[in-house]
Amino acid sequence: MSTVAQYVLSGLAIGGIYALVALGFHIMWSAARAVNFAHGDTLMIGGLVAAYLVAIGWPLGLACLIAIVCGGLFGFVLERMAVRPFLGQSNSIGWMLTTIAVGIMVESIATIETQGYALPLPSPGITSSVQIMGAGLYPQELAIPVIALAAMAGLRVLQRRTLIGRAMQAVAYNKNAAALMGIDVNLVVAFSFALASLLGAAAGVLIAPVVQASATMGVLPGLKGFAIAIMGGITSAPGVVLTGLAYGVMEKFVEGYISTSAREIVGFSLMIVVLLAFPQGLFGKREVAKV
Amino acid sequence: MPFQRFKRLRLMAATVAFGLASSAAMAEQQPCIGNSAAVTGPAAFSGLAIKMGAEIAIDEINASGGVLGKQLKLVQYDDAGAPPRGVDNTRRIALADKCIAILGGFHSTVAVAQVDPVHEIGIPYMGVWAANTKAIENGKDPNFMFRISAKDKWVARFLVDEALKVTKDGKIAFFYENTGWGNGALPDVKAALAAKGKELVVAETFNWNDQDMSPQVMRARDAGADVIIIWSLDREANQVLRAMDKISYKPTIVGAWGISGNLGELAGPLANGTRVMQTYSFLTPQSETGKKVLATLESKYGLKDPSTIKAASGIANAYDAVYLLADAIKIAGSYDWPKVQQALYQVERDGLVAPYKPAFDKADPERNDALLPEHYLLAVWHDGKLIPFAGSPYDK
Amino acid sequence: MKRLYPLGFLAFALILLAVPLASNNEYELRLFMLFLIYAIIAVGLNVLVGLSGLVSLGQAGLFALGAYTGAIVAIRLGFDMISATIVAAIISGLFGVLLAYPTVRVRGVYLAVVTIAFGLIIENIAIEWQSLTGGTTGLMSIPAPNAFGIRLSGYAYYAVLAVTLFLLVVGTHNLKHSRYGRAMLAVSQSETAARALGLSPTTMRTLAFVVSSVTAGIAGTYYAFLNSYISPDIFTFTDSVRFLLMVILGGAASTFGPLIGAYILTYLPEYLQEFAVWQKFAYGALLLVVMFALPRGIMGSLGALFARLRPRAVAVAASEGLPAEATLSRDLSHMRAELVTRDLTVRFGGLTALSAASVRVKPGEVHALIGPNGAGKSTFVNTISGFYQPTSGEFELDGVQLTGLRSHEIARVGLARTFQNTELFGDMTVLENVMVGCQQRLTYGIAASILHTLSMRREEEQCRRESIGLLSFVGLEDFAHEEARFLPFGLQRRLEIARALAAGPRLLLLDEPAAGLTTQEIDDLEAMIRRIAGLGISVLLIEHHVELIMAVADTVTVLDYGQVIASDTPAVVQADPRVVEAYFGTSDSTHLQSDPQPSEASA
Repeated sequence: MSTVAQYVLSGLAIGGIYALVALGFHIMWSAARAVNFAHGDTLMIGGLVAAYLVAIGWPLGLACLIAIVCGGLFGFVLERMAVRPFLGQSNSIGWMLTTIAVGIMVESIATIETQGYALPLPSPGITSSVQIMGAGLYPQELAIPVIALAAMAGLRVLQRRTLIGRAMQAVAYNKNAAALMGIDVNLVVAFSFALASLLGAAAGVLIAPVVQASATMGVLPGLKGFAIAIMGGITSAPGVVLTGLAYGVMEKFVEGYISTSAREIVGFSLMIVVLLAFPQGLFGKREVAKV
Repeated sequence: MPFQRFKRLRLMAATVAFGLASSAAMAEQQPCIGNSAAVTGPAAFSGLAIKMGAEIAIDEINASGGVLGKQLKLVQYDDAGAPPRGVDNTRRIALADKCIAILGGFHSTVAVAQVDPVHEIGIPYMGVWAANTKAIENGKDPNFMFRISAKDKWVARFLVDEALKVTKDGKIAFFYENTGWGNGALPDVKAALAAKGKELVVAETFNWNDQDMSPQVMRARDAGADVIIIWSLDREANQVLRAMDKISYKPTIVGAWGISGNLGELAGPLANGTRVMQTYSFLTPQSETGKKVLATLESKYGLKDPSTIKAASGIANAYDAVYLLADAIKIAGSYDWPKVQQALYQVERDGLVAPYKPAFDKADPERNDALLPEHYLLAVWHDGKLIPFAGSPYDK
Repeated sequence: MKRLYPLGFLAFALILLAVPLASNNEYELRLFMLFLIYAIIAVGLNVLVGLSGLVSLGQAGLFALGAYTGAIVAIRLGFDMISATIVAAIISGLFGVLLAYPTVRVRGVYLAVVTIAFGLIIENIAIEWQSLTGGTTGLMSIPAPNAFGIRLSGYAYYAVLAVTLFLLVVGTHNLKHSRYGRAMLAVSQSETAARALGLSPTTMRTLAFVVSSVTAGIAGTYYAFLNSYISPDIFTFTDSVRFLLMVILGGAASTFGPLIGAYILTYLPEYLQEFAVWQKFAYGALLLVVMFALPRGIMGSLGALFARLRPRAVAVAASEGLPAEATLSRDLSHMRAELVTRDLTVRFGGLTALSAASVRVKPGEVHALIGPNGAGKSTFVNTISGFYQPTSGEFELDGVQLTGLRSHEIARVGLARTFQNTELFGDMTVLENVMVGCQQRLTYGIAASILHTLSMRREEEQCRRESIGLLSFVGLEDFAHEEARFLPFGLQRRLEIARALAAGPRLLLLDEPAAGLTTQEIDDLEAMIRRIAGLGISVLLIEHHVELIMAVADTVTVLDYGQVIASDTPAVVQADPRVVEAYFGTSDSTHLQSDPQPSEASA
């Protein structure tokens, strides 16, 4: 029992990170039908900036806040420089490669600064663990899935209650019509990328105390987050968040009952199978092509 | 247009040919020691450490007249931890740059991949980091692969001895990273235990950047292990420690030197009592050579505080490696590869890391390694610092 | 431009001959051999990316598959290099088929994610299946290159690589300039139009995937033999990106582009070493610069520059063409062309778009289908051309049951169509668009395409001349070599008709051909429809433009709320009060005399 509880709770913690990353992919995709292929690097930016600021003596809260803002700025600039010029093209190779290029550059700078070492990010959330049904977790880890769900709910409130949120939905539904209604589509797209990166950086700040901040910390969560977004149905925010949480739990059970090393093989195979069965993802809406 | 294309391609081919030819010509003027190591990627620190150690030694040698009347130089190429790039670099160093010898790098997979090209070409190779047993004990004769670094086979014995001292009921678990280094150590640890009539209760593996080790740690707990031998880097060891902390499982950790970097910083008090095998530390009382190297590290590279030097072994090993090679060149009286390879067996020197008397032994296939088990140190993490185990609060 | 290709191949051959003679040392030669291997992958990947327009970010997985298969059969079973390469090519090819399957369901970014996942799965299997692959340590002591028991020297192995690459470049170049290459390009630019012309997108994509995976597999085995050591680190996501970049940098779809891309990206790391810790940054920066400065790649940009400096004559002499009448009536002589639908019903969820529609298009007649907006005209057209599946009912052409067939299969039976929103292959020339239409009349196979055999060339020449004839038939011979997307709107409509005719249809389906045309253009269209009908081809015309309908139609069928409310001669239908009511809600029949939808001036 305690084993199962441990796998479920640890899985939710890591799944919460996937969910936050996937939610970012959902936001970017909805706005632009394009994503930042190196979105995982926003995690790294969040984690490293926070760890660096704390190391030079800033208070934790302020450091985290600045780190998250840095992530958002990164997303904003990236959209402007690397994504927008390629949005008009018929295939996705343009923005795929440019965002990958920016990712390589950012990761390279981070590697040079850290020399490849991980940096600690002290947090009150990891000083002592709590026991739930025989499973042990840090409060920090328990908070992650809760925050992921809160982000999902927050996004919904944003979309329902605010002007920019409604504009985001309009753009997601039909870009041209939104432009005709006087919505500044470019601004909405830029805002969406900034928001997605903000969430990514927040995920980085959240996970850094547990896993340490390093130049490569975002690579795998980034790739998996994207795969999860596609698998969950990239057009559905609740879909990607729930899929993210479920994927994290699934990983822990594979690690626990098959082997640690089978994790990636099982996970990605499952993803392909799901996509073949549900081409729009588990919770995605089917887009009917009119001839 | 085809003519233009032809010209352009020719031009490019010519540029490349010229580039390589000119670097080869330069090598004829100035003898070089090559190095293929990770300068980029997650182990970027290793390439930088090797560069520092080797450059300090080369500067010192050059200041006292160089070798055979010529100034040495270092040629370093990045392999980013990828074996094919390591192999390409090996060929470039040997065939294009025509260097006298190659220094190895951090990654065991690269070192293992270099065995074939090194012997095919016949250029002396001096490992300074990667500890994989088979990289050096490769069955080749003559063997061109030498090493001044730990050897997993001996490290395994060393750590198994320590583990047996600590364990109450002989239940020992093994945690290793899923890389060439970790996988290569698995048979070594098993053999070392078997020699003592023991077996591992579990062997658990994990990948770089894994974020949670709960399943592995729980299996070790359920198997009743009270000592864990660990082959990993600081980052993953920290994850293991935290997973243990979460389920209040407190076995003694005995680790290979991968966790001698910044584990204390990452895991804080959780790291206390974690034993680490080391070959060298700048924190212990230093010899004259050690003081000199420390002074250069400060003046040339701005490393003021010895405790901030996280890759002490890499620096020190590379430093000694260059000296041993320079000695061998002097003994051989030539830059010729086979002659230098033979001369290496005659080198004796009182080095920074250890006294090498002799450095290598032609008669013993295990002795293409210069660092012997008696040179290994046991250290322990205590309040963020790695201190010698002897005399520490854990030494009972 | 075309005549320059032989010179290009000659230059390429000379370079391949010159390099081993000019190289100073083994390292240099080896590096060039590495380039040859990467170029093999890039040239194969170009078929997928450049021709089929599909993105693969898992090519390193196929490369790994080839390398491991080749190495394992060589080590375990003692295969020589040639047989190991063949085994690896087959295995990778099979995985290529497997990878092509998802394209039936997913496209674009979704497909990219599937390929990424595939690459990661292969990489992780290589790590985990230790007994077979050696795990992270990899496979060592792969035998030196050997063939028939003879060990190949460095130069002999170089020759093997160089010859393979050269043949591959020639082969893919030939493939591109064959019906298969045209079909792949067509499918990538408009899948809808390609299907309507009888091309099976799945077949073409599978072919492209197989070519790119077989070449990656061969390259993998060559790599294993060259390096004598392989490990999972060689086949990462980063490498997949690099392979894709080779194609994009050199110029997708061009013959020599992937070679140049592979060359630059093989040699680049050697130069980037200068940047030490900054080299990855420099690589990223370079990638960014390339995407901005040369979005079409080196060859693409050079080609565009060349075309600007020496513009090619756009027109083609009509005398080169075969008379369209001969081309079209040839296929018809022995057949009637009658379309019959019985109780065709199509429902979308709760909405019934078409309700028990029974229509008969008699042989050789011009049959107009009209109805107010939302009457179900488009649904009817899309159903009988196979894009929608009917909920119930059936339809047949000349007694051939079409119900349940897919669009390209229906097209092959003899139904060709145009589209309301024109669906041209925009990046192909006007003439090429029409040549895609003759696809089904070409009989040569894939081997003939690659070899450019004599009979293949004869067929191609026949197809070209027929297509020119059809271009003059619609009056487009002066635009033959213009890219289709640059045509004015009115001419695009005509091109669609010529292309549909090239498929040799027995029934031609025109979906609102007059929409957006000027009065003059509509008059031309009217004449054209008469001429087509005069050749014995039945025409089903979906139109709003009443004058046109009254002028050309033999029969008019009126749809309203998905039901056929009238079907008779124009005069009878015009007087039918139900029809008038459907259009205007009143019984004032005079309204139908005028154009219910004034045509807009075309661009």
